[in-house]
Amino acid sequence: MPTPQSDLLQGTLDLLILKALTLQELHGMGISRRIAQITGGTFDVKAGSLFPALHRLEQAGWLTSSWGQSETNRRAKFYALTKAGKRQLQTESERWERISLAMATALRTT
Amino acid sequence: MIKRLRALWNNVFDRKQLDRDLDDELRAYVELVSAERVQAGVDPEEAQRDACRQMGGVQQVIQNVRDVRAGVWLDRLVQDVRYGIRTLAKNPAFTLVAMATLALGIGANTAMFSLLDQVVLRLLPVSHPEQLVIIRETGNHYGNSYGVNTISWPMFEDLRDNNHVFSGMFCRFPATVNLGYRDRAAQIPAELVSGSYFPLLGVGAAIGRTIAPDDDAVPDSQPVVVLSYSFWRSYFDGDRTVIGRTIALNSHTMTIIGVAQPGFDGVELGEPAQVFVPIMMKTEMTPHSDGLKDRRRRLSWVTAYGRLKPGVSLGQAQLSLQPLMHSILETEVQQPEFFRTFTAADRKLFLRNRIELVPGSENGLRESMRRPLWLLVALTGAVLLLACANLANLLLARATSREREFAVRLAIGAGRARIVRQLLVESLLLSVAGAALGLALAFVADRILLRIYLPADAAAEFLVSPIPDGRVLAFTLGAMLLTSLVFGLLPAMHASRTEITLSLKDRSGALSSGGISLRRMLVGIQVALSLLLLVGAGLFVRTLRNLENLGPGFPTDRLLTFRIDPSLNGYSDAETKSFYERLNVNLQTVPGVASVGFSTMPLLQGYAWRNAVLGKNFEGAPIEEQPVLCEVGPAYFATLGIPIVAGRAFTTQDDGPAKYKYAVVNETFAGKYFPGRNPIGQRFGLVNEMEPTTPDIEVIGVIPDRKYRDLRETPPAQAYFPYFQGPHFRFMTIYLRTEGDPLRFEDVLRERMRQFDPHVPVVGLETMNQQIGFSLRTERLVASLSAVFGGLATLLAVIGLYGVMAYVVMRRTREIGIRIALGALRSNVIAMVMREVLILIAAGLAAGFSLALVLADIIRSQLFGLNPRDPLTFVSSALVLTVAAGLAGFIPALRASSVHPTTALRQE
Repeated sequence: MPTPQSDLLQGTLDLLILKALTLQELHGMGISRRIAQITGGTFDVKAGSLFPALHRLEQAGWLTSSWGQSETNRRAKFYALTKAGKRQLQTESERWERISLAMATALRTT
Repeated sequence: MIKRLRALWNNVFDRKQLDRDLDDELRAYVELVSAERVQAGVDPEEAQRDACRQMGGVQQVIQNVRDVRAGVWLDRLVQDVRYGIRTLAKNPAFTLVAMATLALGIGANTAMFSLLDQVVLRLLPVSHPEQLVIIRETGNHYGNSYGVNTISWPMFEDLRDNNHVFSGMFCRFPATVNLGYRDRAAQIPAELVSGSYFPLLGVGAAIGRTIAPDDDAVPDSQPVVVLSYSFWRSYFDGDRTVIGRTIALNSHTMTIIGVAQPGFDGVELGEPAQVFVPIMMKTEMTPHSDGLKDRRRRLSWVTAYGRLKPGVSLGQAQLSLQPLMHSILETEVQQPEFFRTFTAADRKLFLRNRIELVPGSENGLRESMRRPLWLLVALTGAVLLLACANLANLLLARATSREREFAVRLAIGAGRARIVRQLLVESLLLSVAGAALGLALAFVADRILLRIYLPADAAAEFLVSPIPDGRVLAFTLGAMLLTSLVFGLLPAMHASRTEITLSLKDRSGALSSGGISLRRMLVGIQVALSLLLLVGAGLFVRTLRNLENLGPGFPTDRLLTFRIDPSLNGYSDAETKSFYERLNVNLQTVPGVASVGFSTMPLLQGYAWRNAVLGKNFEGAPIEEQPVLCEVGPAYFATLGIPIVAGRAFTTQDDGPAKYKYAVVNETFAGKYFPGRNPIGQRFGLVNEMEPTTPDIEVIGVIPDRKYRDLRETPPAQAYFPYFQGPHFRFMTIYLRTEGDPLRFEDVLRERMRQFDPHVPVVGLETMNQQIGFSLRTERLVASLSAVFGGLATLLAVIGLYGVMAYVVMRRTREIGIRIALGALRSNVIAMVMREVLILIAAGLAAGFSLALVLADIIRSQLFGLNPRDPLTFVSSALVLTVAAGLAGFIPALRASSVHPTTALRQE
C-alpha cells in the first residue's frame, strides 16, 4: 500500500525536484543537495521520499535517467528533465504561485 | 501515454532488471553519501553506517519505489493469479471437478447460443440490415397468394412509385430452376430480383458485376445471371473465367455476368439462392406461371422490401403507408374478378386490409426455430445456474477448510478485500479454464448436432457453422465472467468474515458452521432446478415418442420417394404428360420395385393445395376450412398402403378431357360434406373466381383419414383427383414401394432416371423414413438435448446433496458418538440423517413443482399428445430425483451410523 501522503506535500516535492533539475542533470544525492540549497535549507529530502518520487516522475515521462560518473568518479544514476517535464514545471509553478498568493492573502485577512 | 505503456510493459516483464537497477542506484547513493563523510574526516565504517541510517532502511525505500511503479495493481494480480494456480494445483480433484462442471455448463450454453444466433438472431449480411423491412398485406386475402410475405406485382409498382418513407424498394421471387452446364443437369434455387436489389442492399460483386437497373427494364430482354459466391466455388471450382460464359437455366441460354460478394446468398436466411436472375426474366424462369405479364391485381407473388429512410422508424413508416394502401385497395376492388364473387360485406372487409412492415430478416425458418432454440437456450441456462450452485457449494466447503489459511493471512496484515479478491481470482481462473474447455466442447457439440439433425445438403442450406465467431466468443466471455461472479462471490464474502482468533485456536475436532444453511439452500435450488429440467425432458421425450408412434397412418418402411419437374425444361403439357406415362411404365420394370405411385403434392412436407368446394348443401368457405386437394396416379393408394374403404381407386380408364371428373375423398371429407349419406356417387365442384362453378365431380371412392401435411395435424378433409385429368402437368412426387432395403435402390434409380432423360434432374431422393426423421428433427433435437441436460442436472444435484450431507455428518461426528454411547441404535442414527436428507429433497421438490407448474404453459405449443402438466411425467421425474438424491444422502447416513463412540469422543 502506498504511504498516505497529502497531495499538497507530494505536489511540493515533485515541483522542487523538477525545479532542481532545470539547470543541469543531477544524481539522487545531487538533487537533494540542490533542493536544500535553493530552499535555503528548509527542505531536507530523505532517500525514503526522494527515490519513490524520482521513479514516479520518471514513469510519468517528466524525467529521464541514465548512468554516468559522479564528480568523485563514482557510478551514479543521473536524472534530467524531458520536454514534458519542462512543460509540467511551467504549469505547476504557475499553479503554485496562484495557490501561495491565495493562501498568503487568506492568512493575512483578519 | 506511450511512455506510460512502455513503463507498464517494463514493470511487468522486466521486473528483475528494474530491481537490479534500483539496487545499484541505492548502493551508489549510499556510497556517495559515505564518501562525502569520509572526505569530511569521518572514519569509513562509521560513515557507511551513517549513510545507511540516513537512508532509513534500504528495503523500505525499495518497497516505496515499487509501490509507485505503474501497474502495481497488475503486479498484485499476477501474485494473486500465481497463488491461485498453486492453490488449485494442490487440490487437483477439486479443480478437475470444478473445471469439468464449468466446461459442461459454459460449453452447452455456447453451443446453443451459436445455433440460436445463426438461425434466429443474426441480421442479413448487407449494409444497414436494420433499415430493411418486408412489406406485407394483413387482413382477408382474396385471390391467389404465394405466402404471407408476398404482394402482387402491380401493388409493388404502386408502392414503389408513390411512397415517401423508403429510400428505395426492391423485390424478389424464389424459384427452382433446372441448370444445364456442359453435360451436367441439376435443380438449383434461383432468386429472381428487381434491378434495384443489389444496389439497394449494398451488395457488390466478387468478380464481374451484379444485376443493374438496366438489366431489369424490359421483360425477356436480358438473359443474364449472377452466381452466388459459394455456388461459384462449389459448382465452377472458383474458375474466374466463367464471366461471359453461358449456362442453360430451364433450357434458356443465360450469360454469367458476375459473382456476388462472399457470404451473400440472398435475403431469405435458410433458403440460400445459388443464382440471381433479373425478375424481368420471370416468363423464362417459371414457364408455368407468369405474374409479370398477368396483370391480375390479386395474384400475390413477389416479396417486396423497402429500405427505410434514415430517421424513419418502422412504426412511422407503417402508419404513413396506410392511406396509399387504402387508395390501392379502392382501385383493386373495382377489378372484374372481384365483381363476380364479392358481396358488399366482403368489399367492406377487404377495404380494411392494412399494410404491415416486418424486419427484413424475418422468415418462416426463423419463426419455426425461434421457440425451440430459445427453449434450449433456457434449458442450458438452467444447467449453468445449477453448475454455479454446485460450485458455490464446493467453494463454501473449501473455504471452510481454508479458514486457518485466511486467518493467518489476515493476521499478518492482508486486508479482507484482498482475501475476497484472492478467492474471486481463483473462481475466475476456474471459469477461464472452464470456458476454454467449454468452447472446444461447444465446437464439437455443434458439429455433431448439425451432422445428426441436418442432412449434409440441408446443413449447407442452413448456412450454419460450428466455428465460433466474434459474437459467440463474446457470449462465452460474458458467460464466463458472470458465472465466476455468481459462484465465486458468495463463498468469497463468506470467507472474508473469518474470525482470526477463533480460527487460529486449535480446534481439530469441531468445525465452524461453514455456512451450512447457505449450503442447504443451494442444494434446495439444485433439486428444484433438476426437477424442472427432468420434467421438461420427460415431456419432450414423450412428445417425440407420441409423434413417432403415431406416424402418418400408412406403413413407411421400404418406401422411397423423389421429385422431378420436366416442365422446367420447357416441356409442354402434352410432352410432360407423356413423360410421366412412360416413366410410370419404366419404373415398374426396375427389379425389386413392387409398386409406383405418383402425386403432384409431396406428403408430410408442409405443402397443401386448398380450394373451396361447393355442392348440393354447401358452398365456398374461408381458407382454413377448405379441403386439401391432390392429384395422384392410379397406383398411389396401393403404393402407400392406404386401403379403399368404399368404392374404388382410380384406373387408367378414368382418363378424360382436361377437367376433373372423378374424385376419391377421405372419411372426414365425406362426413363433412355428405353427412348421413353414402358418399359414393355424390358430386361437388371446385370454386373458381373466373367462371361460374357447377358441381360435376363424382366421388368414386373413400379412404380412411391419413395425415397429409405433417405428423402433428389432425387429418383435414381431403379430395384426390387423377393427375392425368388435370389441366396442366408440372412437378411430380414419385413414391416407390420396394422389396427389401429401399436404400439399395437409390443408385439404381438415379442411373435409371439418367438413362430415361438426362436433362431432368432428380430431386430429394430419400426413403420415407428418412423424410419423416428429418421432419421431426426439431422435436428430436429438443427431446435428446433436454434428456441430456436433465441427466446432467440430476447428477449435479446429487453431487451437491452428497457434499452437504457428508459435511453435516462430519461436523456432528462427536454428537453422533455421544448418542451411540448413550445407546442409540444404528437405525436411529440413519433415520436421523435421512430425515434431514428427505426434508432437503422435499423442499427442493416443492419449489421445483411450483416453478414447473407456472412455467408449463410456455412449452405447451412444443408438445404433442400430452398436457404440459402431465401428472405421470411430474410424478416419475420426482421419483427419479428422490431415489437418486436419497441414495446420495444414504451414504453419509451409513457412515454416521458406523461412527465408533470412543474415536468420536477422543477427537477433541
